[in-house]
Amino acid sequence: MSKKLPSPLTRREFIRQSAGGGLGFLAFSGFAPAFLTQSAYAQNPGPERDRPILVMIQLGGGNDGLNTLIPFTDDNYFRLRPNLSIRENIHVVDDHLALHPALGQFRNLLDQGNLSIIQNVGYPNPSRSHFRSTEIWETASDSDEYGTTGWLGRYLDNNCSGTPEQADPSAIHIGDIIPQSYLTDKPASIFGMRSSGSFNRRKSPSDIAYETLLNEPHIEGSPSYLQQTMMNTLVTERRVETHLANYKTQVQYPSSNLGQSLKRIAALIHADMETRVYYVSQTGYDTHAGQLEKHTELLGDLANSMAAFQRDLKANKRDDQVLTMTFSEFGRRAAENGSAGTDHGTAAPLFVMGRDVKGGILGQRPDLNLDPKEDLQYTTDFRGIYNTVLDQWLQADAQQILGDQFDPVPFL
Amino acid sequence: MMKSPPTPQTLPVKDAWKPLPLTHWNTETAAHLLRRIGYSATPTKVQQALNGPISKTLEQAFGRVKPNTKSPELSKFETEFFERSTEANRLKDREERRIAQRNIRRESDHLFRQYAVEWYRFARDEANSPQEKFVTFLHDVFVIEQRKIREPFTLFNYEQTLREGIQLNYPDLCKRVSREPAMVRYLDLHQSSARKPNENFARELFELFILGEGNYTEDDIKEAARAFTGYRIKKRTEFAYYDKIHDHSPKTVFGKTGPWTGDDIIDLAFEKPTARTYLIQELLKFYLTDDELPHPDYIRALGDIWAARDFNLKYLIQTVFQSRLFHHPAYRGNLVKSPIHFYLGLCQDLQIDVTPFSGRTLHAMRTMGQNFYNPPNVRGWLYGQNWINSTTISGRRQLVDYLFTPVNEKRLNGNDKKALKAARENNHANFQVTPDRLGKLMKLDPEGIADHLTTYFITAPSRDTYRPAIIKMIEENIDGKPHWNLRNTVIGLLQSPAYNLC
Repeated sequence: MSKKLPSPLTRREFIRQSAGGGLGFLAFSGFAPAFLTQSAYAQNPGPERDRPILVMIQLGGGNDGLNTLIPFTDDNYFRLRPNLSIRENIHVVDDHLALHPALGQFRNLLDQGNLSIIQNVGYPNPSRSHFRSTEIWETASDSDEYGTTGWLGRYLDNNCSGTPEQADPSAIHIGDIIPQSYLTDKPASIFGMRSSGSFNRRKSPSDIAYETLLNEPHIEGSPSYLQQTMMNTLVTERRVETHLANYKTQVQYPSSNLGQSLKRIAALIHADMETRVYYVSQTGYDTHAGQLEKHTELLGDLANSMAAFQRDLKANKRDDQVLTMTFSEFGRRAAENGSAGTDHGTAAPLFVMGRDVKGGILGQRPDLNLDPKEDLQYTTDFRGIYNTVLDQWLQADAQQILGDQFDPVPFL
Repeated sequence: MMKSPPTPQTLPVKDAWKPLPLTHWNTETAAHLLRRIGYSATPTKVQQALNGPISKTLEQAFGRVKPNTKSPELSKFETEFFERSTEANRLKDREERRIAQRNIRRESDHLFRQYAVEWYRFARDEANSPQEKFVTFLHDVFVIEQRKIREPFTLFNYEQTLREGIQLNYPDLCKRVSREPAMVRYLDLHQSSARKPNENFARELFELFILGEGNYTEDDIKEAARAFTGYRIKKRTEFAYYDKIHDHSPKTVFGKTGPWTGDDIIDLAFEKPTARTYLIQELLKFYLTDDELPHPDYIRALGDIWAARDFNLKYLIQTVFQSRLFHHPAYRGNLVKSPIHFYLGLCQDLQIDVTPFSGRTLHAMRTMGQNFYNPPNVRGWLYGQNWINSTTISGRRQLVDYLFTPVNEKRLNGNDKKALKAARENNHANFQVTPDRLGKLMKLDPEGIADHLTTYFITAPSRDTYRPAIIKMIEENIDGKPHWNLRNTVIGLLQSPAYNLC
């Protein structure tokens, strides 16, 4: 399938048309031929299109693992949590473990074989600082080592650079700040957008002036890099906007930030964007007080949003192409605190969703024979999970990206 | 036209650091100097600079410390902090304790945001801009993070030390920084003792402060860590040295053995050849260009001169900023402004105040990628091209839009209303561009407007291409309303690549 390119416009025509009828972008690209070419060809499925995609969901604040995957036969659980333990309406998974009452949708995903749960994930010498522990997860470094690039950034460095003519960003995140996971050594095409509303910036009457000046030639080095990035941003913004506006789905997503973010990601995947990695955050897991209600709300949102996303992917026949994975900077203390909440802890379970996962529960259960002051001892290093994702899903050199060998976790 | 960067053929190494000849000290070079050492080159400032030699402008900018003022609230919080937190921690009832601790934390966060806005105001004052820009440079060498060091007075005191440090020799500044509570805590020196030395500080001292990566061995770090023992923080606020936990035994660092103290280690590091070049490289990356200089001899030559002056920072500043190399025409419009530069430059160019709403201002800075006092990690911000990505570009464009769009006062929240009232009382509430500001420009013809805008706002490499485009936009007046059309043209220009460069 080939598309005919519109013939170039003069600047005068461009300005007139943009001002009058909002033809804006197409006209603009009329005298930015390289960009026009890109955006026109972007409609055609290219060789990059059927490669695997990873969606990361960050559970910000530190998710309480013990009330997520509940060891409902372990007396120690009830001993450590006289007020916070959950017995009623849990979704029993096996002889020892059950899912939180709000995780009904995860139960269904488990039944369909589309969800793997890896227990008790953490790392040695854990940090209990939100910031630091998040950094450790995102840079995939040891806890006494300060990494400067993200694990996905290193993946981008190794696998996605050197294609400046690529039309779409290699990685997309929802939110204003680039996640540390994406920090690269080489310049990479990373795009950020919001979960709702006009995803970046409202159209403004000054846009024409900006686009006109942007189109002027700029000198080599930083200036032309800046110009390219600005043009790419503009092109991507408009293309993404079109994809989102055109997207129709029968699936009902939760109206939450997470639900709407995943809906947008589904739209972009459906539109055949070349993007390999997506990143979205759900926040609020720092449940030091009044945990039960808050946590129920968060987990319900998580399970419902993820399940909607998976249904949508399946309806679009993209479920073979997408792997979705959660992570949180730490789990919480095994014992409850005095404010009906839990304090910062260590290990916790994480979820991997996709058509091709093996399904079920992996890894060792945490040992709860603990003093109330003690923490869980992790049994699976999170970098082993990254290893599997990189090696078996993204087809990348895991050892090079992680800098060391970690035992893969067999969920794929 | 783009000029190629200088090479030893076009600019001999022996001449590179000589002062720019007086014949070359003109509007062009003065504007270059002002945009690089500060945030803008307004015509008045350029004229003032040209009234004397370059050295005078630099002497005025860096000659003496211009201290920032600690607010009375912050001083009070500092004085009472230790007692208040001790009291809170002693509370028996868990819930009461939690609330007391939370209240202190909230007050601390509030004072931090207030301090942030006050700093932007202080740095926005053109008399302070070069000093404060240099402080941000030092901040990027001696990185600390508010995420870890939360008390705003500790941050304030740290910053004051860096400010005073401009007047020192670099080794002395390193020694002072090693005793700063913010740094001691940030790199865990206070947890280091003869029995359990912590290597965090020693590693960063060599890697990030003095020598650069790879110019030391792991053994050097291990041994040096033993010298930096006995450093503690008293009452959570003051530095203290305890001789008893200091490791007095001999250490071997860079092949030299002795019962070294921390200060001795710093002196030993400055004997290494890369101590002469490391900071200069960082300085040129920050002020001049992302790229390496075309020949390493340039930096070596300057390093030797600097070492001969005992690593005096003001000497380095005077030498670099007056030099022929620094003023070479290749270095115009080649460097991406940092978000701080972009924002404070806008304030100065548009002659407006810093936005008094702390949430708004901090959010804008964060979206542009320079979250106040919170660099991404211990390496600091990487500057230059690294500022640029789709999110930060949108952030920059949004900021410009905001400065030109009147605030709806009815929709402000309580804190912002209060901030606005206070700003009005203190006469710095003029933080947006009002339509009447373009009145003077409207009297010019399209060529005149284009000349004015391109000289005032952007640098040489884009003037020739932007000028006709601007004339055309003014002439075509697509909005039909000349005022509105001019406003939009100015906004477009301030968002354009050229204005994002200096």
